[in-house]
Amino acid sequence: MVVQVIPDFLMRLSAAFSTLYLVALGHSLFEKSGMLNLAIDGLFFLSTGVSVFTAVTVHHALVGAGVPTALAPLLATLLAGLASMLIGLLMAWVLTNLPVSHAAVGFSLMFLGYGLGILAGYRVRLEVGNIRPYAYPYELPTYLAATAAAVAAGLAVHYLLHKTSFGAAIRSCGENPHAASSLGVRVSRVRMVAGALGLFVLGCGASLFPLLWQRYWDIKTYILGYGWFAFTIALASGRHPLLLMPFAAVFGGLIEFATALQALYGLQVDLAKMIPFVVSLALMVVYGATRLRKALEPPSSLGKTYYKEERTV
Amino acid sequence: MHPDGSVAVSVRGLRKIFPGGVTALDDVSLDVYSGEILALLGENGSGKSTLVKVLYGVYIPDSGEVMVNISGRLTRVHIREPIEAMRYGIVLVSQVPQLIDKLSVAENLALTLSSLKLKGSTPLSRISRISSVIERECERLGFKIDPNEKVYNLTYTQKQQVELLRALAINARVLLLDEVLTYLPTREKRKFYDILLKLRDEGRSIVLITHKLPEAFEVSDRIAVMRNGKILGVVNTKEITLQEVRSMMFGAAAKLLANDKTTRGKARKASEGEEIVVEGLYVKDDYGRDVVNGANLVVRRGEIVGVAGVAGNGQRELLEAVVGLRKPERGTVRIAGLDVTKKGAKLVRSLGVSFIPDRPLEYGCSIDHSVLDNVAVPFSLTNGLLLKWDPIREVAEKIVSEYQVVAPGVEASLKSLSGGNVMKVIVSKEIESASRAIVAYNPTRALDEVAAAYVRQRIRDRAEKDQLAVLMASEDLDEVLRISDVVYVANSGRLYGPLDPESTPREEVEKLMVM
Amino acid sequence: MKMVVLRRKKELKYGALVVSGLSLLLGLLIYVAIIGFFGVNPLDALTSIARAFVTPTVVKDLLVLSMLGYALLIAFKASLWNIGGEGQFYISMLPGIVFTLYLFNPEQGAAIPPFAVVLLSVIGGSLLAAAWAALAGTIKAYLQIDEVPVTVIMNYVVYYLLNFLVWGPLKGKRTFGYLRTDEIPGVYRLNVRLPMLYISDPALSFLYSIARQVAYYSSFLMGAFLAAVFVWWVFRFTKLGLYVRIMGSNPNYLRATGVNTRALAVATMALSGAMVGLAGSLYLLTELGRLPYELERQTAGYGYLAVLVAWLSLLDYRLVPLSAYIVSALRNAGTTIQVAGLGGVEQTLILIGSVLLVYSLTRFLIEYEVKVEW
Repeated sequence: MVVQVIPDFLMRLSAAFSTLYLVALGHSLFEKSGMLNLAIDGLFFLSTGVSVFTAVTVHHALVGAGVPTALAPLLATLLAGLASMLIGLLMAWVLTNLPVSHAAVGFSLMFLGYGLGILAGYRVRLEVGNIRPYAYPYELPTYLAATAAAVAAGLAVHYLLHKTSFGAAIRSCGENPHAASSLGVRVSRVRMVAGALGLFVLGCGASLFPLLWQRYWDIKTYILGYGWFAFTIALASGRHPLLLMPFAAVFGGLIEFATALQALYGLQVDLAKMIPFVVSLALMVVYGATRLRKALEPPSSLGKTYYKEERTV
Repeated sequence: MHPDGSVAVSVRGLRKIFPGGVTALDDVSLDVYSGEILALLGENGSGKSTLVKVLYGVYIPDSGEVMVNISGRLTRVHIREPIEAMRYGIVLVSQVPQLIDKLSVAENLALTLSSLKLKGSTPLSRISRISSVIERECERLGFKIDPNEKVYNLTYTQKQQVELLRALAINARVLLLDEVLTYLPTREKRKFYDILLKLRDEGRSIVLITHKLPEAFEVSDRIAVMRNGKILGVVNTKEITLQEVRSMMFGAAAKLLANDKTTRGKARKASEGEEIVVEGLYVKDDYGRDVVNGANLVVRRGEIVGVAGVAGNGQRELLEAVVGLRKPERGTVRIAGLDVTKKGAKLVRSLGVSFIPDRPLEYGCSIDHSVLDNVAVPFSLTNGLLLKWDPIREVAEKIVSEYQVVAPGVEASLKSLSGGNVMKVIVSKEIESASRAIVAYNPTRALDEVAAAYVRQRIRDRAEKDQLAVLMASEDLDEVLRISDVVYVANSGRLYGPLDPESTPREEVEKLMVM
Repeated sequence: MKMVVLRRKKELKYGALVVSGLSLLLGLLIYVAIIGFFGVNPLDALTSIARAFVTPTVVKDLLVLSMLGYALLIAFKASLWNIGGEGQFYISMLPGIVFTLYLFNPEQGAAIPPFAVVLLSVIGGSLLAAAWAALAGTIKAYLQIDEVPVTVIMNYVVYYLLNFLVWGPLKGKRTFGYLRTDEIPGVYRLNVRLPMLYISDPALSFLYSIARQVAYYSSFLMGAFLAAVFVWWVFRFTKLGLYVRIMGSNPNYLRATGVNTRALAVATMALSGAMVGLAGSLYLLTELGRLPYELERQTAGYGYLAVLVAWLSLLDYRLVPLSAYIVSALRNAGTTIQVAGLGGVEQTLILIGSVLLVYSLTRFLIEYEVKVEW
């Protein structure tokens, strides 16, 4: 019994990490350019819905064509990333070219994300009931590969952000877009790239939630609020691609640990669900109250409406 | 005129009207030649900043043409963004350095170089390559700057040097300097002059905006005077006098200014009514650096104490500590005999002390609200839950009329007023609401000379007639020397003084500022 | 193609109404387009929506959301985005449950008159919600953590906390197998029930059914009215109102003048939370009558709907009831439009999301204009 439990636990833990880390990573890249992403939970759920729809549909199509179905979940991840990416482009364009409130735009997209996610996934959910057969193969190599891919993505984003000129441009837009423009940075263009890339990564990460981690999807999973965990991870780690890793691991562990406690010791289910949220709050408080804050500050212009005396597009 | 005679940049018939109906540029035409330094003079609201911002793509003109010399021919261009201006070799350097504080010098310059794909730089290039380029240039120009230093650690002078580096790195043909030299210490200013003259001799064009006439006369070849969005005239510097230029700038008001000797009162007796006492004050800035190191000063009732100094020597943090907006590490601040150290701004305010902050738009007003609402805040600090709007309205109306604030009424939102008028509201409500002391940083910033003269006069009156204590820090040495009874000099967080402005030679004060 | 965004010389006339109207119309169009893509007949959808505007069931939401709208308006004016309405709403019900079912259960011989119990429940609920909101305010004011994620996370904490309590100590004894608390005793209920009458004239019948609804929720009618008057008075006559307004635009100015903006933020959140709590405890006593299990699945989402109400009213207290009316109608419409096999909540989400999106993209048109040159 124990011999089987450990690999299971490790696989779930790695999946939790991969999911939360990639979502937080994409979100961080987005916000590093100065745009606030309050849509995170809605984008998270939308991506799960899109990925489930794609996984099942592609699977059936491939079966019909006599082609091995291993590609289906991969395409699902890709498409979820693309859907999220499109929203990222829209958000970036809007937030940089119109003097609008980041919070209001993000919030509205959150609701839309929930609703559209439901619509995207409900039909297939009703048809197939259990999405387990359409998820990623439940094998250790697959799960390790996912984690490796997540870490590789993180390293790439880190290199981009901190070692290249374009990364400096992204960060400059987040700190002071007016000065950045004066220095020659095309703020709109840079934010659109950061927004698209960031939300692409976010969408891919979120797709791992039903297809790798939970191996389950239901319409009502939109109320889980896991996007906010990724938000907290990003906040507490200063949106730094490398620092995100330990925080994502801790949160993943927390959620899995609480689930395990529930199963083994009968921890009441609602208390188990509450723990990660209480920890999030505590983490935010610790972040705010200690020197962590100074070292891991958000970008100075995050969420500020960008308006020159005039804009041209 | 110049032997070379070729025009580098030209504008014809530029018009720009801002929302609120302010005409910033009214049919402006101007030629800027290669190999010249053109001084652009004018009071606030004359349009000088708007003009160069149009050239740099920060503003788009409503009508008119901008022409740039491309391969020997003047070609019409549409400059919509700073990067487009830089492609034509036009660079704007502002008084407030437009750099990203949290990034290093190299990263800042990398932004410009990679945007323009210069020196082999592309968006995915490593930043480290640019560091070596910077080190070479710094050596050549005699700048002491570490390319990997974060910009927020640089001094004001170093930041302006970085801006100059940027202009040279992109081989700027036209440099637009907007009040860049105004607040540099004299020695640094001279070094900049030398560099500018060298650049001019290389055939580049320099447009130097300044409101300091002596500066214009010292270094320019031609002077263009603007007023109310129009160019009144362009003259050769050698063919005109300072007073003539001043007349052009201010018209009738010029006579006023020539005779403006806002007089100092007599020197106060030694210990008459110490109102503000600062002892051994140590203060840190937002980045945790020690910016005030053991400051001591005394302001007596009815006395104006001026703190001179280059920006960034701790004046802002000192004043904020005095007013209770910043906690000092060590030392005491006493107001009216009461120890107010670390007790907060509310207590200080309740003692009747008003404050004109550095960064007035950020800390001195709420731009979305009306004149009435803004005035209400400092006048509402008495006890009680409810507001008494009638007396507040009276004060607001008095301010509008006496300070000549151009506004449709006290209900008008500050957003609809021009910059200078917003400043008038910010400054006047503090001057008028004080009952014991006024603490001010650059009280006449962004005000034209006429308004500035009125503000200085009013501060003077309140000090003499109402026996208020005034503690004023200003980066404008002329202003400090003109109205202070006692002068201190801030340098590296220490205060040197008290000095008597009448008997201390100006050079000595300047020396203290830059040593 | 060039697009230029310019500040207007004068604010757009009736700008608030234009933006609200545009948000509504374009939002509806987007919604209809989306569900049309998924197979719903747009005409059916629009008819349901139009009908929802004149159904008596709209009255309840209208009154509740008006009250909540005013509660959030106070915080929003200070640029404090109190998204914690959900949590404050439900946590305020705890004192009511405890007082009516346990401490002063009439079966055990209540020691004090019913109205006193009601009063205690309502005051207790307000205070608890105020404290909960003040916690978020404190985290924001003293630790500078954005209040949006904090309040949203606190909503989840309340959901699960209440779930746990309902599962455990507050579990009802007479629940016919359902997991929930007991019903609170009728003597503490606040509804006014007008009799069901049969009226032949359809117009009169319609009016009477409206009247019945209003009577049933008369506690909210009073609450909303009081809230409106309170908000008006605060912003017109008090220093708090002035400071709240200025804080919404530039808290630095207040700080420079010596106003304690941190305490102000906490106080504002507390006040907002108190008003939400007032509404929540009234809701328990008037409508819910008990606490269900799995709150997060059963909630009507008033806390989030109220955010929409406050935003659509453009923080103008005169527009709050109108905004509440519109949002109520949209919500009711959403629950009636069925997409095969779904419960209708997604309709509400998409509808609200679309309207809010258009709002967020057009709000700036009050102060700015867009010029396009081809």
